[in-house]
Amino acid sequence: MAFDPSKTVLRGVLCGVLAMAWTSAAATAESDPPRVLATTTIVADLVRQVAGDRVTIDCLMGPGIDPHGYKATPRDADRLARADLVVASGLHLEGKLGKLLEKLATRTRVVEVAESLPSDRLLEVAPGLHDPHVWFDARLWSLCAPPVAEALAALDPPGAAGIRERAQNYAARLARLDDDLRGRIATIPAERRVLVTAHDAFRYFGRAYGVEVVGVQGTSTESEAGLADINRLVDLVVTRKLPAVFVETSVSDRNVQALQEGARARGRVVALGGRLYSDSLGEPGSGAETLEAVLRANVETIVAGLTGEQ
Amino acid sequence: MTGARNAAAPAVEFHDVTVAYGRRPVLWNIDLTIEAPGLFGILGPNGAGKSTLLKAALGLVPLAGGRVTLFGRPLAEVRRRIGYVPQRETVDWDFPVNVMDVVLMGTYARLGWFRRPGAAERDRARAALERVGLADLAGRQIGRLSGGQQQRVFLARALAQDADLYFLDEPMAGVDARSQERIFRVLDDLRREGRLVVVVHHDLRSAVDWFDGAALVDMRLVAAGPAAAVLTQENLRRTYAGHIDVLDELGRAVERGGRTA
Amino acid sequence: MTAFTGIPYNTLVVAAAVAVVGCAAGVVGCFGVLRRRALAGDAASHATLAGVVAAFLVTGRRDLPTLLLGAFVAAVASLGCLVAIRRFTRTRDDAATAIVLSVSFGIGIVLLSGLSARGIPGAGGLEQFLLGHTAALTVADAITLAIVSLAVVLVVCLGLKEATLVSFDPAFAAATGWPVLLIDYALVALVAAMVVVGLPAAGAVLVTALVVIPPVAARQWTDRVPTMLVLAGTLGCAAAVGGVAASALVPRLATGPTIVLVAALLFAVSFFVAPERGWFARRLRHER
Repeated sequence: MAFDPSKTVLRGVLCGVLAMAWTSAAATAESDPPRVLATTTIVADLVRQVAGDRVTIDCLMGPGIDPHGYKATPRDADRLARADLVVASGLHLEGKLGKLLEKLATRTRVVEVAESLPSDRLLEVAPGLHDPHVWFDARLWSLCAPPVAEALAALDPPGAAGIRERAQNYAARLARLDDDLRGRIATIPAERRVLVTAHDAFRYFGRAYGVEVVGVQGTSTESEAGLADINRLVDLVVTRKLPAVFVETSVSDRNVQALQEGARARGRVVALGGRLYSDSLGEPGSGAETLEAVLRANVETIVAGLTGEQ
Repeated sequence: MTGARNAAAPAVEFHDVTVAYGRRPVLWNIDLTIEAPGLFGILGPNGAGKSTLLKAALGLVPLAGGRVTLFGRPLAEVRRRIGYVPQRETVDWDFPVNVMDVVLMGTYARLGWFRRPGAAERDRARAALERVGLADLAGRQIGRLSGGQQQRVFLARALAQDADLYFLDEPMAGVDARSQERIFRVLDDLRREGRLVVVVHHDLRSAVDWFDGAALVDMRLVAAGPAAAVLTQENLRRTYAGHIDVLDELGRAVERGGRTA
Repeated sequence: MTAFTGIPYNTLVVAAAVAVVGCAAGVVGCFGVLRRRALAGDAASHATLAGVVAAFLVTGRRDLPTLLLGAFVAAVASLGCLVAIRRFTRTRDDAATAIVLSVSFGIGIVLLSGLSARGIPGAGGLEQFLLGHTAALTVADAITLAIVSLAVVLVVCLGLKEATLVSFDPAFAAATGWPVLLIDYALVALVAAMVVVGLPAAGAVLVTALVVIPPVAARQWTDRVPTMLVLAGTLGCAAAVGGVAASALVPRLATGPTIVLVAALLFAVSFFVAPERGWFARRLRHER
């Protein structure tokens, strides 16, 4: 067979073109950071703390939105599908997104951070069903950082080392925060350490920092309060002489108003202790855009409310 | 003819009245004058527009053309003098009212807004019930009445209105012969009292016996005037053309002749 | 008052509010039922959601009178559409009602989810108008509801003969000079008002029950309109207070739906036990 120079040249040019295309594609991939979509602002904060600026982070639900009842629009489904990684809180917090996330998991990487927590650290609401508000226990929430770090590392191998380090630092910061919060709560007289709020979001908080927690509505805001529940709470507030009850940023305060009136009728003025962040972080510019800020703010509000005058 | 023509305006005057349901004309160019007092029948085949003629006079259907004057005036000015007995099917007989309640409704217009019927109204209602022979059924729920009794309740209600001009829409439909006689007797009394009673009627046999004036309607006015003059073979054939089964009966009825007295 | 009867304050407030609303809804509902237009109330109630959300969007306020005003406008608008559809198209009553009901409800849901998706502060809690927030009624709420309910009952009592006449025989009413259309619209407006007032008590989805079940139950016991009104009012009140009592005794029992269940129970009892029209009475008559 004769040696054909034209064919070799052709092959060489082809290889060169392909090589250039490949490297330029790789380069483009380099310059286009992976897209991560978080469901709630709290989860978005976690991702941001761990990822730094290695990825672009978007959040599905803005501040002030109630994740228990949030229904996805077709546009949301689109955004979820186009993300490289979807991070959700899990344990049915995003109750109405369940099916959507399930279907999404077959095509995209979906991480539900709370699902990775050991079940003996979780609080049960009903057999097999757990309370999803795990971020209120800082130490517990710090256990969610490693799964996020692993998912991010898979997306961004060159940055993996930095990601893992940031995750560890964050976990340590949360542990220190945990001690601080414990100290602050201890300043409330023991018999007044009762937190009455609009819904049962603070049970992990209560367990971690030694506060009794009672919500007017149940663990999900989808339930309607009954008269018996409101009467029971009025009783509690009056007999334990609580100085304040608390409303939440993403839940209606109608029930709490009824509570206050009931207490007033029995001669007890119960103040509105303040607005707590429960299922969402604060608006940009509110000073409460990260979970750490929110936990500190909540604790200050609670301490101020409960150590108030009789 | 029904007595001397008086100087006052005729009780009912249809001037060139046309009524249409959508695009379909139901009455066309009706020119009809009816004088009081009298017992006047409006006859014609089914769907000829007889009820519609009544409703046009009462302002219950819009006129596509022409106008109706009652006692020489538009309807709105003389409503107090008009009594109405609608067809029985228009009402839900299961409605929780008794005979007295219904008859009292005849007194409402005179009472006006928000006033309750009092003793005077009850007396008028009771008197009306006496006239139709239902005085002892005053407390009965209307659904538990026979067809004839129901018709008489409607009549009593109209009597309670104490009107000068009465419009009745098929008052004898589905009523037994005895009740029909009773009803006719009341109408005759009204005529004697100087009032005008205009009746949409379906039965040609009795028409010849009962009415002094009549009009034959089949979308157009075929004929109007004294009953005997109007209800001739010729007129009836023109009106009921196509309703062949009726013609023989008509013939017999006409042969028997006009009313006595 | 609480000390006197030993009943918790919240229960008293809710019971008082709901008793007045239940009574008035029963009274007004009689005419809807008698005119065979009971479902129109359902169309109106489903439209109220859109009205509530729109009121919030337009005014930015969340106090009960503002929201109820929005609800009323929406209710009247939906009933107006219903009347228009009946008049100007060949659509039948039931189909027209279904159309108005579903379209207006759809608008309401779209507005509501749009609100929650945008995270507009204060939007939380508008959803409570779907199922009612009976247990959380405050004294201010109760006063608003009571005033409107009493006004509605007063109007019905005043115009009882007019309403009965127009409901029974509109042709005769028109022929004798009554403005039938005006009275018709007035009755419609009253139903809309009661539907709106019933919203905090039972929510948009269930408030029709308050306006339909007591009159139907009352009808079983009497053949006279005034008696029917009194009975319907009483049954409505009883259902309301019964529902409140049950919800106060049993934890985690939503108050609004419980009221509707008690009303249904009263109807069931009426259906079987009423003399003359009751099921047992009719069976006994048959067997004689």
